[in-house]
Amino acid sequence: MLELKNLTFTAQNTDVNGKSSIRTIIDNVSYTFEKGKFYAITGPNGSGKTTLAKLIMGINEATSGSVIFEGKEITGLSITDRARAGIAYSFQNPARFKGTTCRDLLAMAAKTDDEKVIVDIITRVGICSLDFLDKPVDSRLSGGEIKKIELATTIALNPKVAIYDEPDTGIDLWTIDPMVKLLKKEQKNHNTTTIVVSHNRAFLEAADVLLLIKDGKIIYRGDLKGALPLLNDFSLCSFTNVCEGELNARCYR
Amino acid sequence: MLDAIDKELLKKVAELEGIPKGAYNIRKNGKLLNREVSANINIETNPQGNGIIITIKPGTKNESVHIPVIVSQAGLNDVVYNNFIIGEDSDVTIIAGCGIHCGSSKDQGHEGIHEFRVGRNAKMKYVEKHVALGDGKGKRSLNPTTKVFLEQDAYAEMELSQIGGVDSANRLNEAELGAGSSMLITERVMTDGNQIATSRNQIILKGDNCKANMISRSVIKGDSIQNFYATLDAQAKCFGHIECDAIIMDNGRNETIPALKAGHPDAELTHEASIGKIANDQLMKLMSLGLTYDEAVNRIIQGFLK
Repeated sequence: MLELKNLTFTAQNTDVNGKSSIRTIIDNVSYTFEKGKFYAITGPNGSGKTTLAKLIMGINEATSGSVIFEGKEITGLSITDRARAGIAYSFQNPARFKGTTCRDLLAMAAKTDDEKVIVDIITRVGICSLDFLDKPVDSRLSGGEIKKIELATTIALNPKVAIYDEPDTGIDLWTIDPMVKLLKKEQKNHNTTTIVVSHNRAFLEAADVLLLIKDGKIIYRGDLKGALPLLNDFSLCSFTNVCEGELNARCYR
Repeated sequence: MLDAIDKELLKKVAELEGIPKGAYNIRKNGKLLNREVSANINIETNPQGNGIIITIKPGTKNESVHIPVIVSQAGLNDVVYNNFIIGEDSDVTIIAGCGIHCGSSKDQGHEGIHEFRVGRNAKMKYVEKHVALGDGKGKRSLNPTTKVFLEQDAYAEMELSQIGGVDSANRLNEAELGAGSSMLITERVMTDGNQIATSRNQIILKGDNCKANMISRSVIKGDSIQNFYATLDAQAKCFGHIECDAIIMDNGRNETIPALKAGHPDAELTHEASIGKIANDQLMKLMSLGLTYDEAVNRIIQGFLK
């Protein structure tokens, strides 16, 4: 349904001495997401999880390789065209707007100003209160509140593919389980292909397939149980390349 | 009689489809066109004959008065001095505004000098919209002045906006706040082409526990220039905040200078100011909802100036 073929993304790095080098963030990734399944993408910080998600949405432009959606090549399409084709993206750090309200965003997503439709979306999302509707989506909202609105706008799009980048950031512990249930319900009721980038065990457990990314490559695909030994390795230390053990004062553990 | 141009201007500046209900005073090309008073709101021409005095009886609740101005005569620069006396314990809305229709190469303008005295415990909402229309090449200028005096525990909310088409605007807002009074000013200005708009604001926080909040939103398109200056002068235990944001598009230029003066040890004054282009994350969010780049820009600007 959504196929990544030899997808590569590189970025130019300039060091303190002004010397530039090319860094490969996503390294020749090929993978096919199946319709209606729930995927969790996890891996150490800086491994390329968010970049991969952004390549699917068109926020980052692929250096090489292709993205094929429902049999059509979409690698050259804009964010707008991918959104119109049915791909939605929930940002890790949602944008804040002066003056634009939650109602405005939901109306844009749902393509209607109809009060009933907007209230229905809020009710469907459940975790997002009606009180938010006419509040500006600005810096006065807490991190958790804005994430809930972000989630609501993604769901309001009724997408074929929904990508959530760390949806639990800033969310209180008591909302994470309802959030997982909500995404599962959307997956089931609307046959939404769901891709969640997360470190949170609740999402990893909920996933049909877990993709483990390290150094821009998918190093594991399968269930959480099989991934646990690898994940435990990551939790020990992610600076093995530079760290020289406890004698070295720069040990980050 | 209102002609088609008058009706269009009235709709733009006062959201009126025709003659309003209740008290009103419509001024057209420097002269009185229509006036109506109500049991609680009196409107009379001032002794100098160059403006009106609007008196609102103490205790008047939930009433409104419309005082739109239309300038459609080629080459006219209309200057008017209006005084508003808002009685104690009243709660009123004043809808002002000026619409210029320029159809010739002659310059046209309007200068409205408005002085408000808001009585004890009274609430006033003042809405002022400025717009200029027409295909004429004449320069359209609007230079409004508002002076507001708030007595004890009075409240004033002022919504000042310049929607478009105005070539030159020099705005002056002055206010003096008595004890326990509070004031919210929201100014929204959009300029384009070679237009210039300057707003100067001087708010004196004079009485104990008074509060002032000044919000300015500017959208600067084309080669236009906008300047915003605001001073909060605290002379008592009070609270004051200035929030000024400018979005620059194309080659627009902006100077924003918020100033805080604390003349009292218990004064609490803050300000936040920003100038910049539309944030990329905002554009990406709206594009991810299916909007094109241009649609996203329009929606962000609409929300910002709402």
